[in-house]
Amino acid sequence: MKLKYYLFFLAYCLFILCTINVHAQGPPIYTDTPVLLGLEGSGIRTFGKFVQKEHGTIYLQPIVLPYNITPKILVGAIIPLVNKNPDNLAARFGVGDIALFIKKTIYQKDGKAKTFRIVGKVKQVFPTGNTTETPYIGNDSYQTLLGAVIGYITTKVGVYSDFGYNITSNGLSDNFVYNIAIGYPLLAQQYPAKQVNIFLELNGNYLLEPNSNNLFISPGAQWITGRRVLIESGIQLPLIEQVAETQRTKFVFTLGIRVLLF
Amino acid sequence: MKNNIYYILATVLVMISFGYSTALAQDKPSKTYIQIRVDGLSCAFCAYGLEKKLKKVDGASNLHIDLNAGIVTLEVPTDKKPTEESLKKVVTDAGFTPRKIKFSESPFKKAPKDD
Repeated sequence: MKLKYYLFFLAYCLFILCTINVHAQGPPIYTDTPVLLGLEGSGIRTFGKFVQKEHGTIYLQPIVLPYNITPKILVGAIIPLVNKNPDNLAARFGVGDIALFIKKTIYQKDGKAKTFRIVGKVKQVFPTGNTTETPYIGNDSYQTLLGAVIGYITTKVGVYSDFGYNITSNGLSDNFVYNIAIGYPLLAQQYPAKQVNIFLELNGNYLLEPNSNNLFISPGAQWITGRRVLIESGIQLPLIEQVAETQRTKFVFTLGIRVLLF
Repeated sequence: MKNNIYYILATVLVMISFGYSTALAQDKPSKTYIQIRVDGLSCAFCAYGLEKKLKKVDGASNLHIDLNAGIVTLEVPTDKKPTEESLKKVVTDAGFTPRKIKFSESPFKKAPKDD
């Protein structure tokens, strides 16, 4: 019944996306983008992520700081603030597992008002989050993600995919991360932008030990208010969740902002 | 008497040449208009990096980005006219692909809208 509802919702979203007159879009909300910031470009991205679990809630506030060191290489850091609030335990707040990442454009084919790009990326997560008291703020595991981001973006539509293999340590299962997104703008094209973009994404994670799959459908919207500020929101709903009942997610609500600094 | 005539002639010649050079200087346009075709401009939020870099071109003003047409126009004082190569580097550094660059002494017509 639940799956039927989501499939209907997905079909409805696709129908809406296909019938509206659209012009251009920004980067997707949950899926990575292959468009970097340009030489010496920097920004800040942060979003509040409210996760409703079966037995508690989690609030995440990652702060992402990217910087382009060459026109084709971007480095950055992710500093997550975590607040866990399980039903039967005291809530805990702290800095979670900090990550560093590097992205490199490995293929770029540009045309008039369109681009196709492939970016390779490596993300290293360090177990900085506290795991001495429950609920844990971190995962107590070094994790290395090797992945790629592919995107075909025109002023009328954007199709994005990002996937990667995440090598873990300390007893966690390695996993394969996969995301796809399609984005459409609702307003007429202009620069500086005043746009509302809508996205439909599928965000998945396949665990290898034991073999299990988790897949979310994630509709979302973005408001680009000018040259440098983008406000976005989305909701992730589980389509497939092969985890223990206590670990199941009811939904994830996200509200965030991106600011281009220089 | 003869000296006076020479003196008057020399003065007239100097005045004529000064006036001519001033007129020439006035005819020379003070602004150069630049039109750059940029490929890969597909996202308004991504265009900020290009705008930021082109604004750093010495004397650049009236910068306009037309995403649908993939065209950027700007003006610079004629005495600060950048080279084609330097403009191509700016576009490449911003993460896009530069194509044809045109310089003009008069403003470019805006590209017709696609929709």
